[in-house]
Amino acid sequence: MKSLGLMSVVVAAAMTTGCANSERSRDIGNPNISGTTLAQQVCSNCHGMTGTSVSPNFPNLAGQTEPYLIAQLSSFKSHGRSDPAGFEYMWGLSRSLTDDQMKQLAAYYARQTPGALPIEGDRAGLAAGKGIFESGVPEKSIPACASCHGADAKGNATFPRLAGQHVDYIVKQLRVFQRTDERPEGAVMKVVAHDLTPQNIRDVASFLQALPSL
Amino acid sequence: MDSTTDPRSAELKPMLPALPARWLMLLFSVLVFLPDLAQAIPAFNRQTGQNCVACHAGGQFPELTPYGRLFKLTGYTIGERAVPISAMVVASLSKVANTSKSADPSAEFQKDGSGILATASLLLGGKVTDNIGAFAQVTYDPYATQSPDGRFHGHSNADNIDIRYADRFIGDKHDLIFGVSANNNPSLSDPWNTAAAWMQYVPVPSPTSSRFIDGNSPYPGYGAGGNIAGLSAYAFWNQSIYAELGAYGSSRGVSSFMSAGIPADEKTRLKGLNPYWRLAYSHDWGPHSLMVGTSGMVARVYDDPLDTSDPASLHHFRDLAVDAQYQYLLDPHAVTAQLVYTRNRHRYPDAEAGLSVPFVDAAGNALASTNASDTNHLLRAKLSYVYQARYGGSVAIFNLTGSTNTASLTAGLDPGTLTINPDPAAQAPSNQQVDGNRTGSPATRGATLEAFWTPIQYLRVGVQYTAYTRFNGASKNYDGFGRNASDNNSLFLYTWLAY
Repeated sequence: MKSLGLMSVVVAAAMTTGCANSERSRDIGNPNISGTTLAQQVCSNCHGMTGTSVSPNFPNLAGQTEPYLIAQLSSFKSHGRSDPAGFEYMWGLSRSLTDDQMKQLAAYYARQTPGALPIEGDRAGLAAGKGIFESGVPEKSIPACASCHGADAKGNATFPRLAGQHVDYIVKQLRVFQRTDERPEGAVMKVVAHDLTPQNIRDVASFLQALPSL
Repeated sequence: MDSTTDPRSAELKPMLPALPARWLMLLFSVLVFLPDLAQAIPAFNRQTGQNCVACHAGGQFPELTPYGRLFKLTGYTIGERAVPISAMVVASLSKVANTSKSADPSAEFQKDGSGILATASLLLGGKVTDNIGAFAQVTYDPYATQSPDGRFHGHSNADNIDIRYADRFIGDKHDLIFGVSANNNPSLSDPWNTAAAWMQYVPVPSPTSSRFIDGNSPYPGYGAGGNIAGLSAYAFWNQSIYAELGAYGSSRGVSSFMSAGIPADEKTRLKGLNPYWRLAYSHDWGPHSLMVGTSGMVARVYDDPLDTSDPASLHHFRDLAVDAQYQYLLDPHAVTAQLVYTRNRHRYPDAEAGLSVPFVDAAGNALASTNASDTNHLLRAKLSYVYQARYGGSVAIFNLTGSTNTASLTAGLDPGTLTINPDPAAQAPSNQQVDGNRTGSPATRGATLEAFWTPIQYLRVGVQYTAYTRFNGASKNYDGFGRNASDNNSLFLYTWLAY
């Protein structure tokens, strides 16, 4: 058993040497930790190392606009954004972020190059989705997505980048806008999404996810 | 087993009218306290500020999501230090299909059909520093011992303890998590729930009415058991390759807290350091997550924990496991498929091998002497589905096979009369029926169905039914006195609170 005791001492020594390294810190309550460190040590668990997430449960953040990211982080922190995807994960993680850390995080993700991902949605709906994105649904007075999100859906200020976003994430968020008031910062979308049919939502989400590959 | 055609299924009916009052009261009391529960949060939840479903697949604690695995592997350190205490309480009811074929039903099926407070645990968990975190559980068992007058006495002891140091080097293209875990149960440090320490997740109540519920059916395990002390080092490369190497010894001296509360004669005493290893490949794509892995342990365990003077009294275990887990996690669906195969080789102390037994075969010939070693094979599979982290169900199958050993016989043919007799040397005749074995084979096979409801994330109510098609080597008359495998079919109801 002496060897087990010796191992304990070695481990205890190792434990005391790595504590103060802010580059690898996961101390998200510490305002001195940089946004890059937070992005790598914490956010990467769900959003991927460079902002391209594996699971559609979590949105891709690579190439997202800085104003949109800052607005979302602020809204998570203030509990203004309360959709399940938001509060289940992000309320806790954002609670101690400083304004500077939010800016650094936003800058970090905005400068990442979006990953090339396989097409997730139904190809049959791509054409219909393209039509909604570029021209809206005139008979229902639904405006074209491109008018705010940009011709390539790369976003514009607080209007988020949608190109390459996971189909499931877009579908769920459109439903949140359409059916709830859980995202007050995106209230404009409640009007826009109000008359979209489930098929419309599926089609436009499929198109947006596939857009970078088309 | 088809319970609709089994006459024994009728024996389950009398309990049904007795159930609602008890369980309605329990449910009522829980609902009354709901507003308070919704304010109370488990320690990790407080630390991260996140919902339970972030780390637990469909809220099925303790099964981890990919994020939950990273939370564990990075040493439980994500988040901010918070009050590190949580508590867990399990209330349950077990009902065995047949309690009459027993030498002593009141002893062999204690609390059968009665609602009980099964266990209560205090959990200490959370971030200590940026690199150090802990998960420690102390469990109180209200039915730990029973005095001759039949009264039960409670007892607390150290349960799962995992204290770890972890660090992470991560960049745009690489991600290396590494750490060291001090723990008291081989595979407790593992982040997948096909690991022996984590696959069985509903705590098993002590009263003997729970002896055949799913938690007591064959599960993967290591011969070294728990309440020992070990250190393991692990690394997870690019969230893809996981490797862990550890060594376990007896829990004593500075590590005696790892087995605190366990009576000295029940502690596992190991000779020297005993290696444990684990290798796994993990791959996530879209909402899918797959792990294929293998693990094993070689251990030397003293026959008598109170006498470690004789090296010839050692049991030698060589355990090998191959496991796989698939998860599909996309709100509102959570699907998990688990598959484990284990091979356990057990070599007995010389004094236990080659002994003659007092039984003969049908022709009157002496049976083989007891084995020097046994090898068992266990296959266990489970498929579960949870909707909205609220409504869930699962189906599981288990199939244990292994070498026949006359040492396992509790009954056999008497050399003089050629009629079935209990083992005259047995010291606990009451076990000769319910735990009896007339074949010498460990073969046990069955299935478990479960449905559960999680109305809020701190409460789960479940109903489980476990059916056996084979028990201790036989479907019919496994004990030699008429008890059948299906007599052991068990209903288990539980309510699990964690806050």
